[in-house]
Amino acid sequence: MTVFNLYIFDRNGTCLYYVEWNRKKHSGIASQEEEFKLMYGMIFSIKSFVNRISPSDLKDGFSSFKTSRYKCNFYETPSGLKFILNTDLNVGNIRDVLHQLYSNIYVEYVVKNPLCELGQPIKSDLFKTKLDEYVRNLPIFATKTN
Amino acid sequence: MADEVLFEFFHMEIVGQFLQSARKDEKESAFTKLEFLGYRVGQRLVERFTKEVPRFKDELDTMKFICKDLWTSCYKKQIDNLRTNHQGVYVLQDNKFRLLTQISEGKQYMEYAPQFLAFPCGLIRGALSNLGIASNVTAEVSAMPACKFQIQIQRL
Repeated sequence: MTVFNLYIFDRNGTCLYYVEWNRKKHSGIASQEEEFKLMYGMIFSIKSFVNRISPSDLKDGFSSFKTSRYKCNFYETPSGLKFILNTDLNVGNIRDVLHQLYSNIYVEYVVKNPLCELGQPIKSDLFKTKLDEYVRNLPIFATKTN
Repeated sequence: MADEVLFEFFHMEIVGQFLQSARKDEKESAFTKLEFLGYRVGQRLVERFTKEVPRFKDELDTMKFICKDLWTSCYKKQIDNLRTNHQGVYVLQDNKFRLLTQISEGKQYMEYAPQFLAFPCGLIRGALSNLGIASNVTAEVSAMPACKFQIQIQRL
C-alpha cells in the first residue's frame, strides 16, 4: 500500500498545500498551477454531479473514486477546506485519517499559528514536517519494497 | 478546551493589532504597550491566585510560585528551569512555550518571536510587582519553541 500525493484546497479553490511522496507519473502539464486548477475543477464538478444524480439524500456526499491504478480520497470540512489524498487501490475508507490531518495538523499548526495567513499557500516548516511525519507513519503508507 | 483557545486567539489578535497599527518608528512603543498590558493583567492575576496561599518566605519562594502556580494557570505547564546568580538575576527557561509551539520548531519565523513575548514579560513583571518585587523582565529566544525570561530585580 502506498500514498501518492496530497492536495489541500480552500473554499475558493486556492491550493493551500501540495506534497507528493511516491508519485511515479507526472501530469505533463508545464505549470503546477494548471494542475491544481484542473484538480479543483474536477472535484468541484464531481461534487455537484454526485449531489444531483443521487437517488436519495446524501449524508457525506462524494468521498472517493477509483480507477484501475489509484484511489482518490476526498474529505471536505464544513468550512469548505478540501483534502484530497491519492492512494493505491488497497486502501479502505480513510475518512478518519483525512479528518485527523485536518484537526490535528491543519488546525493545530496553521490555524493556531498567527503567522500563517488563512487562504494563502502554507509556508510554515513546522506544518510541513508534522504533516510529512504523520503521513509517513500511517499504516497505509508502507511502500512495496520490490 | 475552547477557553484556552480563546486566550490564544485573543493574544494573537492583540499582538497583531498593536503591531499593525504601529509604523516603523513606533514599533518600540507598540512593544511597550503590549508589555504594559501584560503588567496590568499580571498584577490582577496574582491578586486572585494568592488569595489562599500562605506568605512567601523570600524572593526565591516567590519565584517558585511564578514558575509553578502562575505559569501553570496561564500556560498549562511549569517553567522547566529556574536559575539565579543570588544577586537579583533570575532566568526562567521554558523549553516549550505555549504561545510559540504552533509557530515553528527551529529558526523559521525567528524575527517574529519577540512580539509574542512582550505580553508574557509584562505578566511576570506585574505579578512580581504586586508581590513587592520591582523588576525588569526581558525575553530571549534562540530556537523556538524554547525561550528564556530574564528577571533583573531592582534594588532600592
